[in-house]
Amino acid sequence: MGLFNYNIEKYSPKQLVMIPLALLAVSLVLLALNMAATGMPVTPGIDFSGGTAVTVVTTDTREQLQATFAGYPLIDISEGVNNGYFIKFGAMDDTEFRSLSALISEKFPDAKVDQIGETFGKTLQSQAVLALVFSFIGMAIVIFLAFRTFVPSVAVVLSAFADMVMTAAMMNIVGIPLSLGTLAALLMLIGYSVDSDILLTNRVLKRQGKLSEKLTGAFRTGIIMTSTTLAAALAMFIVAWFGSVLILMEISAVLLIGLVFDVMNTWLTNVGILKWYVLKGGGK
Amino acid sequence: MNTKELKALITDWRVATLIILVVLSIIAINPHFDDQGNLTSNLQYGLDLQQGSWLQLEFQAEVVGFSTDLPVDEFITNLTESLDAEVIQVDTNHLEIRKSYSQADLESKFLATGGKLTSFQPGVSKNTAEDVKRILENKINTLGTKDAKVNTLTGMNNIARYIRVELAGVNMKQAQEIVGKQGKFEIRIQTTGNQTEHVLSGETITSVQSPSQEPPGSDKWGVGFTLSESGAAAFRAAAIKFGATADPANHNLIMLLDNETVYSAPLSEDLAGKLQSEDIRQLFASTGTGKYGTQQATNLEIHLRAGALPVDVTIAGSGGVTAPLGERYKTTAILAGICALIAVGFVIYYRYREPVIVLPMVLINASEIVILLGFIAVIGFQMDMPTIAGLIAVLGTGIDQLVVITDEILHEGKVPSPNLYLKRLSRALSIIMVAAATVIIAMVPLLVMDLSTLKGFAMITILGVLVGVLVTRPAYGKIIMQILSK
Repeated sequence: MGLFNYNIEKYSPKQLVMIPLALLAVSLVLLALNMAATGMPVTPGIDFSGGTAVTVVTTDTREQLQATFAGYPLIDISEGVNNGYFIKFGAMDDTEFRSLSALISEKFPDAKVDQIGETFGKTLQSQAVLALVFSFIGMAIVIFLAFRTFVPSVAVVLSAFADMVMTAAMMNIVGIPLSLGTLAALLMLIGYSVDSDILLTNRVLKRQGKLSEKLTGAFRTGIIMTSTTLAAALAMFIVAWFGSVLILMEISAVLLIGLVFDVMNTWLTNVGILKWYVLKGGGK
Repeated sequence: MNTKELKALITDWRVATLIILVVLSIIAINPHFDDQGNLTSNLQYGLDLQQGSWLQLEFQAEVVGFSTDLPVDEFITNLTESLDAEVIQVDTNHLEIRKSYSQADLESKFLATGGKLTSFQPGVSKNTAEDVKRILENKINTLGTKDAKVNTLTGMNNIARYIRVELAGVNMKQAQEIVGKQGKFEIRIQTTGNQTEHVLSGETITSVQSPSQEPPGSDKWGVGFTLSESGAAAFRAAAIKFGATADPANHNLIMLLDNETVYSAPLSEDLAGKLQSEDIRQLFASTGTGKYGTQQATNLEIHLRAGALPVDVTIAGSGGVTAPLGERYKTTAILAGICALIAVGFVIYYRYREPVIVLPMVLINASEIVILLGFIAVIGFQMDMPTIAGLIAVLGTGIDQLVVITDEILHEGKVPSPNLYLKRLSRALSIIMVAAATVIIAMVPLLVMDLSTLKGFAMITILGVLVGVLVTRPAYGKIIMQILSK
């Protein structure tokens, strides 16, 4: 692409994988800490923990909103652009919720209200974890079947794993909760993050030529692939931000974070392991 | 490219398939201006993109496995008594208990009644879930609400725990009222001529059975129902007072739901005789024979329940969008899609700088989205936010794969001979196949699991990948070859 040069010839495989592996370790620690604190590696949003989310457009200030909802289990008020607010409430019983929704429809007739019961959320939560695990295993099986060589397959699966773990850790840091939408984004990442890894492995193992040339060629194609998806996700993020559509913002943010990590994990982690494998005499 | 080459290109089956699908899709989407001059189409939007409300209801029931040394009928009768709940046999070793109980409670109750609990799942059997769905649909329809959707979420084990009701154009308060509302049920008796008198109201009906044949196997259908003691006494008193026991034929019993007649028939000779001497609590309303009888019985069951469900439900979740917010969400989502396509176009242009390569790529990419939207319109799928995010992601990876094809073919900057070209194309396609397989596999868990609205998202994403691999990539391979061989 010409913006920067991809030249890794002077680095040994060990040097290549050092930074990503250190980041992976830090991310895993962060997820473990979060797990200890909340019971889930990624903090669950109301879809999975139960609660009520309200989206309103109002000229009221944050303090006024706080006063309005003082009698209810208010958790958080966050602001979007154009006077949009996202207000979160904790679990309530039926009567309390009915009185809250009456209050909202009276004060903010145009608000969007979503309420998820605690048990329903919990059911979804266990399903969500299962879906992620099954997806990942399924992806790994496809990779092993496609390449039928151990080290290169492990390299791809490890890179994808690192993508997921780092993205999840980043979600906790920037405060994106796990919702049905962001779960969908994570699942998309499982599928999409291996795209460039597959291209890389295919080029290196199945083509003739010098390793460094094959790597440079693969990078030229691969980085464009990631850039197009990044561009699409970025466009989606910006539009969603202007329109204050929280769920679309979160989905695109997760995709953006995941794709950035994917660049690192493909061109450092995966390349590092692959280079080690080829130098050791594997492949053609 | 001259006309002859263009004609050859269009008549290539890969390109022709693509063009036909795009045309069919546009017809299916049918973008047009409505009476007010607004642009509309056949696409349907989910409840986060248009005004409406949804309710997620949880069944207060469980499906359990059991074993017992007693005869099964006897065991079920015992259980019904000790649990004070309707107990229904689902299959040889599963029961449905229509009341909320914890696993521990049931274990001890089962032991006390001479059986053993072997498995425990909150929820109802598929059949019951379908009944509930039918009743809810019926109720929503009689209230004249259009555009309602009732979905049971049935897991892999055929047990449904939740049911989701979506009502377009209705706010949340109304939705809760509609689902919770009971109709006014009344039984009246014909006195003289067209005159009728009130006999019973709906509260005196304590339970309603599913449609059955009486006697069993006779193909004479009807619905059994049970009256409370006071109800049975009132029923007998009225039947004797107005002469229905002595002359059943001229004193029809009439059932009304919200003042509409839903059933009218005389007492049977048998019942008339029995009523002379005692209160009868267990009644059976026959509806006829064969398919017609069954259909009538099914409807009557719903009416007798007056919209009440056979299983209690609680609201597990609810939500709604108002018209202005829904409108804004929709605009934002559409705008996001268009901007994503433009952004992708810029990146591609930055890389190849050749309009003859960039233009087909972007067009192919856009055609993929059009075909998907066409399919969505045909199956009447309601697009929601995750689906739109999925569509945008399909856009991003779709172009990825076109890049793979282009780069494989342009390898070393030389335009290949047809032979080499095919070899390279197949190599590119093999990379794409693996990538496509991983995306599909990653989405499969969502298809088979009960993750609420994500089922649709998974379906659309998988479909997007399939359309790409089967239709648009091969067509692109053909088109780019024509262009490059210039």
